[in-house]
Amino acid sequence: MLGILVNEAMIQFDVVADDWIDAVRKSAKPLLEAGKITEGYIQAIIDSAIEAGPYFVIAPHVALPHARPEMGVKENAIGITTLKNPVEFGNASNDPVKYVFTLSAVDNSKHLDALATLAELLDDEAFFNVLDTASKPHEVIDYINKLRKD
Amino acid sequence: MYNALVCCRAGMGSSMLLKIKVDQVIKEKGYPIKTEHGNLDSLVGFKGDLVITMDDLTAELSGKVPYALGIRNIVNKEEINEKLEEFLKTKE
Repeated sequence: MLGILVNEAMIQFDVVADDWIDAVRKSAKPLLEAGKITEGYIQAIIDSAIEAGPYFVIAPHVALPHARPEMGVKENAIGITTLKNPVEFGNASNDPVKYVFTLSAVDNSKHLDALATLAELLDDEAFFNVLDTASKPHEVIDYINKLRKD
Repeated sequence: MYNALVCCRAGMGSSMLLKIKVDQVIKEKGYPIKTEHGNLDSLVGFKGDLVITMDDLTAELSGKVPYALGIRNIVNKEEINEKLEEFLKTKE
């Protein structure tokens, strides 16, 4: 379930980022502070994107920065960040990025349900409306929880 | 039945999301395709019929796998469906 992977402390709105690297760093910060990932994990995301291109920009305006678990994942978590000014990540199909979901996954099997929920949310216009208009993180949590019950 | 490997660079996260979406389309349409999930290492010795991945990887894969299918927008089921149809046409 997604609810157990996201908490209020890991949701932030209208973050100002200079470029995509800054956006990745600032989006991952709450996960770092909560002890979900290491500093090395953030660097691994940035390094692999520099080397391989922005492979984690997976839908229009949506980035899902992540790296291999052994690069520094401690606990499963998903961070949700909206950017004040959309940022170019270098992905022609899906730039500019406004929504950043930082993913910290220990393994695949355990967070499959959460990913299924995330897959649903990424296809849900109302969810992005909530992200655009919410002023408090709990509004996002409430929306996700409501979705799970319906 | 055709075997597909769904993978991305990290083998976590985006490819798992992609597998969820691809499986939804396959189920809705009743396509004879079975998917498994992996990372780039899974390509070594891959014996299946096609590889489904994010669009940025397909250029690297062409020539190395029987069929490479690249998705631009992971949540766009129409795009996924069109590309699966294209693959199935090559098998007719």
